[in-house]
Amino acid sequence: MKIFIGAENAISPLGNTAEKNFRSLVDGVSGIRLFNGVGFNKEDVYLSKTDFVVENKFQTLIKNCLDHVQSKIDKQIFLSEKTILIFSTTKGDIDKHLVDAIGISANAIQKEYKLYHHPLTVSNACTSGVQAVNLAADLINANLYDNAIIVGCDVISNFVLYGFQSLFAISDEPCAPFDAKRKGLTLGEACAALVISKNKPVFHDHPVEYVSGSSANDANHISGPSKTGEGLFRSVKKTLASGKIDVREIDFISAHGTATIYNDEMESIAFDRLTMDQIPLNSFKGYLGHTLGAAGVLETVMCMQTLKNNLLIKNLGFDTAGTSKEVNVVKENKNSEVNVILKTASGFGGANASLLIRRI
Amino acid sequence: MSFITSYCSISVDSCFVNGKLFLSDKNNAEKDLLKSLFKNLQIDYPKFYKMDALCKAAFVGTELMRKQLTSINYYRDDDIALIFSNKNSSADTDIKFHNSYTSEALPSPALFVYTLPNILMGEIAIRNQWYGENLFFIAPDFNADFFENYIRIMLEKNSKACLCGWVDVLENNVDAFLFFVEQSDSSKLNLPLTSKILANLYKEKNN
Amino acid sequence: MESLKEDLKKQIINQLNLEDVKPSDINDDAPLFGDGLGLDSIDALELIVLLEKYHGIKITDPEKGKHIFVSINSMADYIVNSKK
Repeated sequence: MKIFIGAENAISPLGNTAEKNFRSLVDGVSGIRLFNGVGFNKEDVYLSKTDFVVENKFQTLIKNCLDHVQSKIDKQIFLSEKTILIFSTTKGDIDKHLVDAIGISANAIQKEYKLYHHPLTVSNACTSGVQAVNLAADLINANLYDNAIIVGCDVISNFVLYGFQSLFAISDEPCAPFDAKRKGLTLGEACAALVISKNKPVFHDHPVEYVSGSSANDANHISGPSKTGEGLFRSVKKTLASGKIDVREIDFISAHGTATIYNDEMESIAFDRLTMDQIPLNSFKGYLGHTLGAAGVLETVMCMQTLKNNLLIKNLGFDTAGTSKEVNVVKENKNSEVNVILKTASGFGGANASLLIRRI
Repeated sequence: MSFITSYCSISVDSCFVNGKLFLSDKNNAEKDLLKSLFKNLQIDYPKFYKMDALCKAAFVGTELMRKQLTSINYYRDDDIALIFSNKNSSADTDIKFHNSYTSEALPSPALFVYTLPNILMGEIAIRNQWYGENLFFIAPDFNADFFENYIRIMLEKNSKACLCGWVDVLENNVDAFLFFVEQSDSSKLNLPLTSKILANLYKEKNN
Repeated sequence: MESLKEDLKKQIINQLNLEDVKPSDINDDAPLFGDGLGLDSIDALELIVLLEKYHGIKITDPEKGKHIFVSINSMADYIVNSKK
């Protein structure tokens, strides 16, 4: 069975559509800027935050994103019994609802779109987005559904910002993935969505193909990645094997690249072990920040745009190699025939996940 | 056909393993029961005390099932998929973390690292050195249909067994139901994996 | 100095949720990390919180923690010197 992935959309400080976001990346525009006095000690903090000022930003982002996706596919899909919506988020609207933020949001989505089934919510730290896409494909491959709508959303919150500050994980400059001077992550907010289906006619435009995906745990530490990149290594290996893709077929890697010392180092080691050190690689987080539960979906959407445009986007913030194993960081935008893309993600709890998409 | 070869239910005042009462603690609050269960296990693992209540519940449930399962040691280190779910995510710890930077004036890193529900799978993976598939999902209640379907998918993909659970902890409420699924009935419990049997086992503890 | 060290031990036990550990179990010069109490990287960050919460000292670079948190003695020395 071929699994199609398309009708993608993204809302971030860089735009309200996937195409607008990608255009900003092409133009080297970053969504990251300095916000005064928002830190726990009232310090200024770099964030990638939308300008939205509405009563219910979290839910509005999701609605705006999904409304646009709805216009890109067959009208019946949202209402169909053969469709499942999979929601990806780490905390939901946590500053607003300390308890049941996620349930409240999932209920609101079901009500808004009159979905047949209650949404499934993946909440697996920063691999949630990639895992939501993988889950969708698994369910469709098992003939449980024909279609899946995946939406990922997380917003900037005091809860998360103060938490990462207590870990000294927030960079006092815009994040610089894989760079020697990287100092930590920059938080971002976004909502991104896409559709997966076994039926190509569902899509108004040309979809691409979802090939395979998997997850694997590091079994090392609950908040620090494995020093040998074991979980990421195993996940990518499984993803390649089940997709019957050879390393040499991969044209581009969208890495997790949070710009913490440990994450980027771990990824470089894993990619080196996988003999992927020469494959062009970037992290989109230099433009969009780390959007947590939205990241896996948002960055997969940017990968889909990369495929459609045959254009590799440079790794914003990178100047000098800063990992013990070198990786082939894209330093300038490059027109290149792109057929197969590997997307990876890692997260707290030893989470690691990966997926492959391919041009049809 | 696959089989449920062990299961464990933990509530605020009692713990059942494979349907039999293991420990009853009618007078104490939830944290003490989890501690009592841990002490009962007699394992040397001081990391337990750093865990939050959600992780402690999942941890002791897993350890109690492990003691019943002779087959578990024969799996390779990435054969076992971890599939967990709850309604309240990490809200029990979220409240405490929120408190640490509001009432108590300084955000606590030790609490923050537990403000994600999938951490419980991390703790299980670390303890057992398991590198397999992991998924945590939020649902309004225990979804036996989903578990049956997704376990089947995992077993058809790369996994050889699944350690699963609905583990929900919020303030004074503990609602934990863990179960282990294998492709042959090593336990002789004679519990084929079906959504109906799972739903019944989950409800059993409320009797 | 002695009462500071005694207080520190109680604060550490409290802040880090050290089960079944009494102040008398912690030697003044014993390493806090590695063996002994077996503290890890997250505990080190909690000790930074402890310094601010109980002693009003703000650490902005967690790397400094490596030298300050070696033992009760080194912590006490740091606190006393910071107040000068």
